[in-house]
Amino acid sequence: MMTMPVRILVVDDEQHIRNSLAAWFREEGYDVSVAASGRDALAAIAREGTHILLVDIKMPGMDGLELQRKVHELAPDATVIIMTAYASVETAVEALKEGAYDYIVKPFDPEAVSRLVRKAAERYALLAENRTLRERIAGASPALITGGSPAMVKVNELVEQVAPTDTSVLITGESGTGKELVARLIHARSNRRFGPFVVENCGALAEGLLESELFGHERGAFTGAVGRHRGKVEMANEGTLFLDEIGDVPPRVQVDLLRVLQERELKRVGGNETIKVDFRLVTATHRDLEAEVASGRFRDDFYFRINVFQIPLPPLRERPGDVPALAEHFLTQFSNQMNRRISGFSPDAMAALVAYPWPGNVRELANAIERAVVLCRGEKIEAGHFPFVAPPASADHSLAVVEEAHIRRVLAACSHNVAQAARELDIDRVTLYNKMKKYGIERP
Amino acid sequence: MNVRLLGLGELPPKLAEAVLAGLPRPFAGGEIGRLSVSIERCYERTRAQVDASCLIEQIPDPELGWSALGLTGVDLFMPALTYVFGISHLGGRRGIVSWFRLHPEEETADTQAHLTRRITTEVVHELGHGLGLVHCVVPDCAMHRSLWPEGVDLKRPEYCPACLATLASL
Repeated sequence: MMTMPVRILVVDDEQHIRNSLAAWFREEGYDVSVAASGRDALAAIAREGTHILLVDIKMPGMDGLELQRKVHELAPDATVIIMTAYASVETAVEALKEGAYDYIVKPFDPEAVSRLVRKAAERYALLAENRTLRERIAGASPALITGGSPAMVKVNELVEQVAPTDTSVLITGESGTGKELVARLIHARSNRRFGPFVVENCGALAEGLLESELFGHERGAFTGAVGRHRGKVEMANEGTLFLDEIGDVPPRVQVDLLRVLQERELKRVGGNETIKVDFRLVTATHRDLEAEVASGRFRDDFYFRINVFQIPLPPLRERPGDVPALAEHFLTQFSNQMNRRISGFSPDAMAALVAYPWPGNVRELANAIERAVVLCRGEKIEAGHFPFVAPPASADHSLAVVEEAHIRRVLAACSHNVAQAARELDIDRVTLYNKMKKYGIERP
Repeated sequence: MNVRLLGLGELPPKLAEAVLAGLPRPFAGGEIGRLSVSIERCYERTRAQVDASCLIEQIPDPELGWSALGLTGVDLFMPALTYVFGISHLGGRRGIVSWFRLHPEEETADTQAHLTRRITTEVVHELGHGLGLVHCVVPDCAMHRSLWPEGVDLKRPEYCPACLATLASL
């Protein structure tokens, strides 16, 4: 459905032609303007824009062909329909070769002109819709923020390989490593990207509720089922279904899901109607599913069905080189959200970020940056803004305390490369190892 | 709203009465008259048709609370179009309807009633434009555009609820 009226510009040097056409299209509900010459038409387009132009091919001064060329420069999305007399049909054909949408011979058959303009209006609506969708997809399209670590380059490659297929994907990794982001990335780069992306966290629901959430229910299926409810599987039709924490799905629901995956159809809880479903399944877990299968807690047939293509996500502590890029990304994001002007991180702050082992992974890093943006009153985030950095022992300025803090900072800045840190500190590696042992400093 | 049906040339009295009687809400009645117009002045010899946009200019503006609609049996055209069933000034409460192309394709016992219904439907259509309505997507609403006589048969000589609501807000 169009949200704004289609704007038509009728360009003809004959007043009675442009006026009668304008009256005709106004009755259709179009927003109609008229112009007596190519020059007037260009001025009107520049002033108020237009979606469809009906252009007389023979006009004094700038003719229809020349106007069409200029319109394509000025308003490339506008649809041009050429109006012609029998005598100038050949010129109209030339206009078609140059990109006119169609031509129509005067006087017009009401049915023909009505249909032609309706088709052009639908084309405009389609173009506008495509543009909106493209913008929405571009804006919503997730991105993997990395500092170029080999592990994440590999993840990106795997996503690129599997996204255009319909293969089921299992994403594994610790909590907070960005499993849902990768699932969204797969959807956004798949042929189903115009379809829905439906998320269900299977770990958050009890068995009965999970079944109803996934497969839906009919009215009266159980106490409290006051109306028909479409499940997530049905809603994911023609799109992607992302089941997070798949390792927490009870065996009975695993059987139901396996059946849906094999037969591509389902019945709502308490219903008899068979509903066809066409979706791509992406699952994620922080559990070791092989171990779960071995222990009998997870069905092997279901595991084999969902684990066709696995993407393992490395924890953040295994890729400290990605921390600065991620930190900058989140700083920009939260500064914009909170309308704060923070230019970056102090060297100490960045060193602390790189040194920290991030047990909560990227999610913890994002939370830490968000908190720091709230606390920051200056232009730069300082180490003291992070909860994991202990406040300096102001009373203790002993050489040992200062030395330990300095070594920690330099190591963090060198991504815990001991040889490089030793060079920075101007001591040999063995000395640095000894000092690290003395102060209990461990490499992440 | 009252309607003044004006014969532009010959107008069968029974036809005009039937049309006037068949007008739906919000029209409350009206009168039938004749208007002396120069059809010859609007006649286009090469096309053997009458220019509707020329003819409508000969219908005087109605007073407040009235719409004026000319009824004619001549074949109408607009300069850009091969033919029209009628024409009106959008929001101007003036219009014309021609029955030239509305004759039923087959002669039957109901031919006259059929023609009257088609004319009434197109009169309601042009009166709607005269009050400011544009075309409606509801297929059986009088404000739906008809390009062929058979298309007129798919409509009812009355406005759909959405068009009535629009009229009420105008």
